[in-house]
Amino acid sequence: MRPPRHRWLLTALATVITAAFLLPVYWMVKTSLTPPDRILTPTPQWVPTPVTGENYSTALGYAGLTRALLNSLVISCGVVALTLLLGVPLAYALARVRMRGSGTMVLALLVAQLPPAIVLAAPLFILERRVGLSDTYLGLIAADTTLTLPFTVIVLRPVMRSVSPELEEAALVDGCGLPGVLLRVVLPLMVPGVVAAAGLSFLIGWGEFLFGLTLAHGPDVQPVTVILNAFIGQHGTSWGALMATATLISVPVVCVFAAFQRFIVGGLTAGSVRS
Amino acid sequence: MKQSLSPGARRRRAGYLFCLPGLAFLALFLAYPLLYNVWTSVHDVDLGQLLGGDERFNGAENYRAVLDDPAFWHSVRLSLVFTLGSLLFQFLIGFALALLFARPFPFNGLLRSLLLVAWLLPPVVSGTLFRWLLDAESGAYNALFEAVGLGTLSHDWLTDPSTSMAGVIFANIWVGVPFNMLLLLVGLHTIDPQLHEAAAIDGASAWQRFRHITLPLMRPVAVTVLLLGLVYTFKVFDIVFVMTGGGPVDATRVLSLYVYEVFFTFFRFGQGAAAGLLLLVVPLLAGVFYVRRLRREEEAPAGGAV
Repeated sequence: MRPPRHRWLLTALATVITAAFLLPVYWMVKTSLTPPDRILTPTPQWVPTPVTGENYSTALGYAGLTRALLNSLVISCGVVALTLLLGVPLAYALARVRMRGSGTMVLALLVAQLPPAIVLAAPLFILERRVGLSDTYLGLIAADTTLTLPFTVIVLRPVMRSVSPELEEAALVDGCGLPGVLLRVVLPLMVPGVVAAAGLSFLIGWGEFLFGLTLAHGPDVQPVTVILNAFIGQHGTSWGALMATATLISVPVVCVFAAFQRFIVGGLTAGSVRS
Repeated sequence: MKQSLSPGARRRRAGYLFCLPGLAFLALFLAYPLLYNVWTSVHDVDLGQLLGGDERFNGAENYRAVLDDPAFWHSVRLSLVFTLGSLLFQFLIGFALALLFARPFPFNGLLRSLLLVAWLLPPVVSGTLFRWLLDAESGAYNALFEAVGLGTLSHDWLTDPSTSMAGVIFANIWVGVPFNMLLLLVGLHTIDPQLHEAAAIDGASAWQRFRHITLPLMRPVAVTVLLLGLVYTFKVFDIVFVMTGGGPVDATRVLSLYVYEVFFTFFRFGQGAAAGLLLLVVPLLAGVFYVRRLRREEEAPAGGAV
């Protein structure tokens, strides 16, 4: 065993690296709190003096931001709900029921993650318009769920496998049907996996941009990522307000990650390496 | 009726019913649109046929139009530069960080989680942020260069066509490093520490242990991470679109942006669909390679590596 002093040296090194790496995030928050007339200076300030909320009120005063934040919330919650509703039974059946074709289905779910979003956005643009889904929450939620569902099943399947089969069999003997077994026995045991899947689905729905850009055309459903991009065009050099908007979008991301961090990191690595 | 089925058959039937909603959804919103894309790519479709109409079959004409377009080949080259540049540095920096974080020290978990924030931020946010950081007049990076006496390096990164690609790659490396680190860290944790201890007792230096134990044992994980990285990086749209929109002129118009332009700016749906399918080639090849490797690993006797 190495002496503890050596370990604290590693901590110091890792802290310096992490701080340098996160400098952009600091700069975003710093800019958002700096008075607008102190932002565009040849030698930028490293600490905002005085700290101001002015940029936030400017940003929230821009047309469409509050509505877009609300839209993104509705869309990402919808994505979480739809993903779990479809993904949990699918993952369970693929993990636990011996069925013909389940190997092919798992392979198909892996392949489903390959296409770039633009290849899907293009036909969805035409098809959703024809069936009246374009410019609706549902149209965006469905499009985003094509990203989250395959991923969720891949993450949840190994977790479901780890639930002891004896418990299930006991419940089956007691007269529970398969839905009962899933709801009363399996699901409570795999809360961490489901939380990870829900958290990741939320983050994907919240940060999604391309479907929002192509499938929503008006401010009624446009997500906040699309609005931020539009702000760059409209308020090009108002970096204070732009960074305030970017910070507002980042806050839920950091909160969700902080709350479910342990689950999300576990789910991520399980989904990517072991499957 | 239920009595007539064996428990196994009943379970199977319930299993299929469980799969049905999810698979039906994916068939409707993923498989069908992709197939529709194939159909569109061999028809003459533009804005006039948006709501349906008489699309004329035109064989390989859309593909020919794309392959004859110099802008397409320009985008192919840009995508290669963007992907290779991003991958190389994401992987190397990620690996270096993974080696650091694989060692136990106080606050290891906390610092590692903080690094992940960079990867979790929506790409649109990161793109906007790096636009500001790389700003010519008051951007943080130019100020940093000035502050450490490297003022000559200060530059208008994103509006100069010869450096805009470097700027976009730089931002994308930042986004990808934490993910590479995380996956490589998982790989490093699977290496039996006794191997290192035994080698150290035998007098192997830290470099020798890295070269002859860590590197060979990390090879399978490294290939997986690079393949995943290839698929993810080749797809990238958001960050480039937000940072440069493909410009200045066309200096950063990678393939995904090319497809977007053909489809959503010029509304040449048939041609856009064809270009989209050509964009699919690289991820599909990577996917085939990945699945074949998985198969091979499953067939190999367990623990064969150690």
